[in-house]
Amino acid sequence: MEFTETKEGAFLVLAVAGRMDTLTAPEFETRCAACLEAGNKRLVVDLAGLEYISSAGLRSILSAAKKLKAAGGDMAFCALTGIVAEVFAVSGFNKLLPVLPTREQALARA
Amino acid sequence: MSAVKRGLAFRLSALVLTGAGVVLAAIVVTTYFLAREALLEHAEANARNKAQALVNRIESVLAPIPRVAQGLAYDLEDQGLSEESIFKRQRRFLSDNDSLYGTAVAYEPGGRIAGRTYYAPYTFRTPLGPKATFLGGENYRYHAMDWYQIPRELDRIEWSEPYYDEGGGNSLMSTCSIPFHKVENGRRVVAGVVTADVSLEWLKRLVAGTSVLETGYAYLITKSGTYVTHPSPGVAFHESIFSRAEERGDENLRSIGKDMIRGGSRFVTVTSLHTGKPGFLVYAPLPSTGWSLGVFYPRDELLASVNRLAFITAGLGGGGFVLLALLIVVISRSITRPLTRLTAAAREVAGGRLDAELPTPAARDEVRELAESFGHMQTSLRDYIRDLTQATASRERMESELRIAHDIQMGILPKIFPPFPDRSEIDLYASLTPAREVGGDFYDFFPCGDDQFCFLVGDVSGKGVPAAFYMAVAKTLIKAVAESTSYGAQRQGDIPGAPPSRRCTDPGRILTRANNDLAQDNDSCMFVTIFCAVLDMKTGELRYASAGHNPPVLLRAGGTAQYLPTRQEPVAGAMEGVTYTTDTLTLAPGDGMLLYTDGVTEAMNPAQELYGEPRLLARAERFGETEARERCESIAAEVHAFAAGAEQSDDITLLSLIYCGPEDDAN
Repeated sequence: MEFTETKEGAFLVLAVAGRMDTLTAPEFETRCAACLEAGNKRLVVDLAGLEYISSAGLRSILSAAKKLKAAGGDMAFCALTGIVAEVFAVSGFNKLLPVLPTREQALARA
Repeated sequence: MSAVKRGLAFRLSALVLTGAGVVLAAIVVTTYFLAREALLEHAEANARNKAQALVNRIESVLAPIPRVAQGLAYDLEDQGLSEESIFKRQRRFLSDNDSLYGTAVAYEPGGRIAGRTYYAPYTFRTPLGPKATFLGGENYRYHAMDWYQIPRELDRIEWSEPYYDEGGGNSLMSTCSIPFHKVENGRRVVAGVVTADVSLEWLKRLVAGTSVLETGYAYLITKSGTYVTHPSPGVAFHESIFSRAEERGDENLRSIGKDMIRGGSRFVTVTSLHTGKPGFLVYAPLPSTGWSLGVFYPRDELLASVNRLAFITAGLGGGGFVLLALLIVVISRSITRPLTRLTAAAREVAGGRLDAELPTPAARDEVRELAESFGHMQTSLRDYIRDLTQATASRERMESELRIAHDIQMGILPKIFPPFPDRSEIDLYASLTPAREVGGDFYDFFPCGDDQFCFLVGDVSGKGVPAAFYMAVAKTLIKAVAESTSYGAQRQGDIPGAPPSRRCTDPGRILTRANNDLAQDNDSCMFVTIFCAVLDMKTGELRYASAGHNPPVLLRAGGTAQYLPTRQEPVAGAMEGVTYTTDTLTLAPGDGMLLYTDGVTEAMNPAQELYGEPRLLARAERFGETEARERCESIAAEVHAFAAGAEQSDDITLLSLIYCGPEDDAN
């Protein structure tokens, strides 16, 4: 799994590429924790490059989002494609977390 | 083991001894040849000196004789001596030379006194003193004799072949003849010959008496090759060096003889005809007579000292070799003995006796280092095996615990099919195949109230032990909620405290309540997807709700199948306060439901392809009139075949329900 960080105004855009499964999911949590540590409370996670996500990956996303929220920040997701979008839909994550079609829309949030 | 030991010691010894043997042999051989060379050179010089000394001794006697005779010849030529002065001179000549037997002055026929054929004053030695006489006569025609004719014809000093004089002194003699001249018609012509008869007895004794080593000898030949002296009896005077060479076909001897009479002087290798021994011959000429002296040295006697030296060297070498061999055997034993002991110890260790005692060689050498390394290896091996034993025990304990956990997990799932043999309204079958020992999938079914039948399938995020714990909690909680009367009553707005009329049979509410309970203090952020449905067995009314679960398949009696659309409401346990919606549909007799987890649709084959929802639906459409159990088993079999040996990555859970219609009133 590969990460790319870009600072966009108040937001930090974290682009994730690869597969998020049982083995790699903890990396995402660690990365988010590092971002929070660095003072970035508002995260936009760009999942355009994510090919696959397992239930363990969903758990990591949930965990990271909750920690950010507890710290007074928030986490939005954007640019979901294919099976990832499907998993988000079926599992109802679309309703639990802010999920937007494009990065611009995610950044345009208040 | 003994073969190895013998091999090393033997190879070491054999190699060193072969090398040492070759070197020693080379030393002995080289020493022998060098010593022989040196000794031969020395012997040659020695032999030459010895021969020359002998020659000198002989010459000291023979050389003055021609000189004196020449003097007499000159006097005769110059002064024309009277007969009396000739005799006088002859007497003095005899008294001056002990080896001289007699001397004559022989004239040509009529040379001194006209008409007198023989005129030869002769003085010779007798026991009573010198005696004067005249030679020549009818029975002694000296002009035809060799001693007169040869020097006269050749006009030079000539030594005769030795002869045995029976008339004169009964002794071996040789005559030295010197011609003297007169002038006739202006030409210098031979007037006669002065002779000196030399007794050779002393020469014979001198040469024969010369001792050369043990069996060596000296001999003398004249310039015609005739032996003057020779150690073999009957050879002297009777044979010549050439006759002997002819007799035996000895070319070497012939060429030696030629060189000898030519006045050569050499040191050559020959085989003695006298003794038959190989050896060396040194020969030198006697200048005054033209004779040659030969001295034979037997090779074996000459080389005796060299051979003795060679024997001593070989003996010393052999002794040294034996000593070296002993030393090497001792050394190689001392090297291989600790190795042998180490090998034995290693064998014990290899046999499993890890605490076997290792030998510690006394010498601080490579073998000791090997033994120490071996000791380290033994220690490491012991530690490693101990760790491995512990790890294995620990793993076995873990596996055993996991096995028990598996049994417990399977134990909390209902497994008796058909579950309600006395109720004919439904046909139900469920199966769960964990990917590991324990998993996060579950299913459940139970009656909840009059004619109400609740069934559900859940899938906890993740796998393994954490998922199994969460699954147990989720399953227990849902059943508790579904069976809780008070909860259902409260939510339905009943008066608090009033006796509950019915249990909660609303799946949306069950999920809402279960979600709240699961989400509380859920620090690990685990969650579970649940599809929960409640069937009214009398009417066929089915109420259902889904917490982020895969859409189940609805199978109509006619054989059509479709995925039941869900509202995509969130997974349970993720967040408090989510409200789940209950949907309703009606099952006709023969209709069925197929619930599953994503272990089915996300099963992968070795080409990384997913089994997928289209395949599942196609399979479901082919069910026909089959029973619930058959349906589950056919899907499980198809998924297994699809995976084609690829490792199962997720739990596979299937639950099939067929509504058979309400019970007949008759029953």
